[in-house]
Amino acid sequence: MAETVGHSLDQTQSGTERHISGPINVLILAVAPQIFQFLWSLALLILGMATKNPLQVLADHIVAFATALRWFGWALTFLPDLVPTAISALFSWKSSLLTPVFAKIGGAPPETWLVLTYSYPLLIVGALTFWLKPRCTQDYYGGIALMALALFALWASSDLQGMHGFSFGAGTAPRMFACLLLALGAGIAVIGLSSNGPNVAAYHWRGPVFVSLGIISFAITIRPLGLVLSAFASFMISALGSKETKWMEALIVGAFLTLGCSLLFPYALGLPFQLFPRFLIQ
Amino acid sequence: MVDLFHNLALGFGVAFSPINLMLCLIGALVGTLVGVLPGIGTIATVAMLLPITFGLPPVGALIMLAGIYYGAQYGGSTTSILVNIPGEATSVVTTLDGHQMAKQGRAGPALAIAAIGSFFAGCVATVLIAVLGAPLTKLALAFGPAEYFSLMVLGLIFAVVLAKGSVLKAIAMIVFGLLLSMVGSDIETGASRMAFNIPELADGLGFATVAMGVFGFAEIIRNLDAGAEMNRDLVQQKITGLMPTRKDLVDSTPPILRGTVLGSILGILPGGGAVIASFAAYTLEKKLAKDPKRFGRGAIEGVAAPESANNAAAQTSFIPLLTLGIPPNAVMALMVGAMTIHGIVPGPQVMQKQPDLVWGMIASMWIGNLMLIIINLPLVGIWVRLLRVPYRLMFPSIVIFCAIGIYSVNNAPVDVILAGVFGLVGYWLIKHDFEPAPLLLGMVLGPLMEENLRRALLISRGDWSVFLTRPLSAVLLAISLGLLVLTVLPTLRAKRDEVFTESEN
Repeated sequence: MAETVGHSLDQTQSGTERHISGPINVLILAVAPQIFQFLWSLALLILGMATKNPLQVLADHIVAFATALRWFGWALTFLPDLVPTAISALFSWKSSLLTPVFAKIGGAPPETWLVLTYSYPLLIVGALTFWLKPRCTQDYYGGIALMALALFALWASSDLQGMHGFSFGAGTAPRMFACLLLALGAGIAVIGLSSNGPNVAAYHWRGPVFVSLGIISFAITIRPLGLVLSAFASFMISALGSKETKWMEALIVGAFLTLGCSLLFPYALGLPFQLFPRFLIQ
Repeated sequence: MVDLFHNLALGFGVAFSPINLMLCLIGALVGTLVGVLPGIGTIATVAMLLPITFGLPPVGALIMLAGIYYGAQYGGSTTSILVNIPGEATSVVTTLDGHQMAKQGRAGPALAIAAIGSFFAGCVATVLIAVLGAPLTKLALAFGPAEYFSLMVLGLIFAVVLAKGSVLKAIAMIVFGLLLSMVGSDIETGASRMAFNIPELADGLGFATVAMGVFGFAEIIRNLDAGAEMNRDLVQQKITGLMPTRKDLVDSTPPILRGTVLGSILGILPGGGAVIASFAAYTLEKKLAKDPKRFGRGAIEGVAAPESANNAAAQTSFIPLLTLGIPPNAVMALMVGAMTIHGIVPGPQVMQKQPDLVWGMIASMWIGNLMLIIINLPLVGIWVRLLRVPYRLMFPSIVIFCAIGIYSVNNAPVDVILAGVFGLVGYWLIKHDFEPAPLLLGMVLGPLMEENLRRALLISRGDWSVFLTRPLSAVLLAISLGLLVLTVLPTLRAKRDEVFTESEN
């Protein structure tokens, strides 16, 4: 689900600009998982946690893009065989018909699979968007985002077992739903292309950013700092989400709300909450 | 019949214990309190208040949750009448005539009729649940996995038909929900699916987390777009004379009766329940009225009918949940979540093994409705004052309350972040005109559907035709297909759109 973070942030930006930015956002969405993983490893490195080197992550992804591109050329020669077998491969784990294909790509690292199932299809859609003029951008980009989600789910469930015999494997149902969502997303995008409808409504950054920051700060600080500080801090941060916030008023209400919550949750409801910072208690 | 009285007696015995009465009262009060806050619908209210029931015994927790549920419903109609902001989808139509009545200085009678209508509908629905519960449970025992699967397909199709806007988009939302429900461990093999090695995801995404994100946080963010100072058309004059006149009562009796019948029927159907019930009841009254022009200008029938219909539907939608174990709408889906937390698996077995729980809850619904009518009419003044709290102070408070609520479900900070992510997803969905309610329903039905699909295919040894050869399952699938075809047909589509647009202007 780490993916959804990157994905939805991209989408939040996508509506603010006008027509030309739409296809660019689709292109960004296509490489969002890679960018997210790079930034994540960078962040972990800065925080001093032992993890994969960010440069190594970047290199892996670049190699994956190249390998996948080579395979595309190779697969084109195979095309007549590939289409029917690929459909059956969605539901059966390494079907015997696909043995030659899997012999070549079976041992591929997940990065390559990601590029094959997610990035390249979306890059193609994004490139096509430069040419097309969707009449209802709200539906068009909505459909594409659902397609992206479905492709990503297909990749994320690609390591799971499919049908064996007549019983479902762990991966059958996720892939089935993902394919369905892919088809529906494509349908919505096509409708957005062909029929008139509203354009994407304007996004605002202030509300989403500060409310998200408030939520994140709560999640990060609740364990080390305890309920009182954490709740009050995130109250003040989310209050920034509106231009109309008055400081004195917000401080007073925040303080009272914090007091109320610190009485309600640990005492009245008996839920296990730590009220004050850990270092003060010790 | 003897059984029925015996069961109801058992139920009232449970519900009248002082502690359960107390819980019912608190639930109804808190539910109304949160339901009155504009921008927080029933689903978000129930999701937000879920944690406060954790420390209670199962019966008490369910009674309290049910209280919260119809309290929220009632709170929603209060805001519709007083501020012209429907607290939630079911009371959208109430704004049309209710707010007009309030502007004419008749807010009191409008609120009173809404309460009386709801109470009457609640009484009828309670009896209906008691009457239908036992026979439907017997029917449920005849259901195999194939039938269950087909029934859930029917339920999801109903949700599509009753959702507003594009059919394709509604289906896409359901499938999105189904896909989200796949995250976590596989039931049979235990394989970790799409969890990306995040330990908190091993158990799957919580309903409460997703619901709070998509309905709670997303609503807040969206409201902030419009500027914190929302256009609030609050009725300023003092509300005097709560009691409706004799003429009001005479005028509203037939609409209440019709609304109750319509609501009870629509509530049992899986899918949309209360929302469509209120729309349908309003449309019916308008069609039957001698002078349809009065509607939208403060006709008391326009308050009485939808309010009784949505309350009847809200209660009869417990029937599929209690007897078949299938949640018919998003709120019931949250109820399933709550039951599971208390170790109860809803379905036919519950009715037989824990009769005190089921009948206690049914009886408490009636008591809850009675309490709402007694406590809420005098408390209207307080609710009005609550509505005057500016949004700039309210929204950070709701954010914090939701965050603490989510955190307390599992004591997991990751859940809070996930809810935030789903808040952004929900904001995006709103911007692209996708309806989030089918998503939640899909998410809840996903694991049930997968399990029954797997089982049905295992029993039939991989033969997919089992869904068509078993008569009950074939009938259910045929109905779903028929409904879907009907919805896509142009004439009916126009009608359906008409019903929904009528409510918006």
